[in-house]
Amino acid sequence: MKFLIFSEDGSNICGIATKLRDNGEVYGVTIEGEESKCLQYGLKEVYALKGRPMGDNCFKALNKIDLTNFDRIFISSSPLGRDIAGMIASSIRSIVITEAFDFHLEGENIRTKRFFFGGKTILEEESSAKVITVQPGSFEPEKVDGNTPVTMADLEVSSITLDQEVEKERSGTDIESAPILVSIGRGIGKKEAIDQIMPLVEAVHGELSGSRPVCLDYKWLTEERQVGLSGKKVKPRVYIALGISGQIQHIAGMRGSKTVIAVNKDKDAPIFQECDYGIVGDLFQVVPKLVSALKQ
Amino acid sequence: MAINIVVLIKQIVDIDQLKTDPNSGEPLIQNIPLRIENLSKNSIEAAVQLKEKNGGKVTGIIFGTEKANSAMKEAYAMGVDEGFIITGYKGNNPAYTASIISNKIKELGNVDCVILGNQSADSYTGLLPGLLSTELNMNLLGNAVSISEEGGRFKIKRVLDEKDEIISAEKPCVISVTQEINQPRLPPVLQIMAAGRKPINASAAGAGNFETPKIVSNIAPKSDRKRQLFEDMDKGVAEVAKAIRGEMK
Repeated sequence: MKFLIFSEDGSNICGIATKLRDNGEVYGVTIEGEESKCLQYGLKEVYALKGRPMGDNCFKALNKIDLTNFDRIFISSSPLGRDIAGMIASSIRSIVITEAFDFHLEGENIRTKRFFFGGKTILEEESSAKVITVQPGSFEPEKVDGNTPVTMADLEVSSITLDQEVEKERSGTDIESAPILVSIGRGIGKKEAIDQIMPLVEAVHGELSGSRPVCLDYKWLTEERQVGLSGKKVKPRVYIALGISGQIQHIAGMRGSKTVIAVNKDKDAPIFQECDYGIVGDLFQVVPKLVSALKQ
Repeated sequence: MAINIVVLIKQIVDIDQLKTDPNSGEPLIQNIPLRIENLSKNSIEAAVQLKEKNGGKVTGIIFGTEKANSAMKEAYAMGVDEGFIITGYKGNNPAYTASIISNKIKELGNVDCVILGNQSADSYTGLLPGLLSTELNMNLLGNAVSISEEGGRFKIKRVLDEKDEIISAEKPCVISVTQEINQPRLPPVLQIMAAGRKPINASAAGAGNFETPKIVSNIAPKSDRKRQLFEDMDKGVAEVAKAIRGEMK
């Protein structure tokens, strides 16, 4: 079998390649500058696309590589990846499975798992899908010996113009690899209250993360720290949820955590159904007590 | 420039009210009311704002079931001018949905932009924007948090992980929006009453020959959490500190 993996982030190709490489030849496509991240994972060849990536020109570039040559095309899920997956779906007329977090090849078919009903259920399907979008971080990358050759390819000029670009302040944090996460929700009340949470983050040698409203609506934290169905899927050893009510959208992002601790004023908050230890109370009283207990 | 806008509206089961069977994990879907998907409300609001600013018309399309009338009336009350319900929706199959909706849009003709949510809350596929842009041969402006129009070009702001971008393209465009784009309006009672009297166009979808995946299972994931709840704060803190220390070793 021949597989193609696309991601504008080279590191997202590695896990999928690791999962696929024993079943056939795996090719990768990424953006120039990203290719070096995925050359030690047993790929047969990596294409690096030169130019400004937009949905339309990436789709054209993939067509030039000739998508009909491949048995299956895997796309790492992202805003760009989903746009491209839709375009491919329209051109090759195949079933597309989206947002898979696990899959197994079953002869001619593929068995996939993804969240449904907003994260309340897991939908397991079997199909002949040729295009699958995969949630980043679903498979652990493992290096192999040897180095993958790179082929450069030009991106055409997109019909979408980039008029302005505003780089964001990035802390360079990687909440997906943190062993302990302290995660905040609306319940902390205001951005300044983060100062009162930081002693706990330091005491557990963890990282700070947050819910969708905290990261996107109120912007108390940057988006790279957002946990949830639409954010990062995290699997820390300990996940400490402070003032997070536990909407299913959020639960779907932290379900893989080993131990979940929740602090919330509301005894009926749904997060208490999804935690190992829950404390009903004011988080601003609980946090300092917890910090001093941990220091003893 | 007056803009001819199509907005795509999805009606879903109210997933916030959806429970799963504690034993089998099966979703208990009977008797759950339907509602307009939140992102569709954001899309309607964005479309109506665009019309209010530039002039033009907003046409709503629902690919759904006979039960979609209430959703279309709500869309009318928010400012949608004309509505089409296509019945025959059988479930999540983006390729089929895209072919039905793009046929309708081609039939309407002269559409400047199609506005829809970037990823619906229930099935979460996010494929429709890309599918429609290819089938309708329109430029795709994805994940907008703001939309404007100037001289036949649409401009959006989108928020990516590492940066914010302002991008633009010639009309016609497919524009997908995220929930941060706006706060959908609550229509006044007079508009709701007027919406109730407004006619809705209905038609049935043609049969499509589209393969669908076989569903192996669709159940709630098992939660093996301990669920030890402490209302005594000090007791809780002691227990939690012990658990954290165990994991820090």
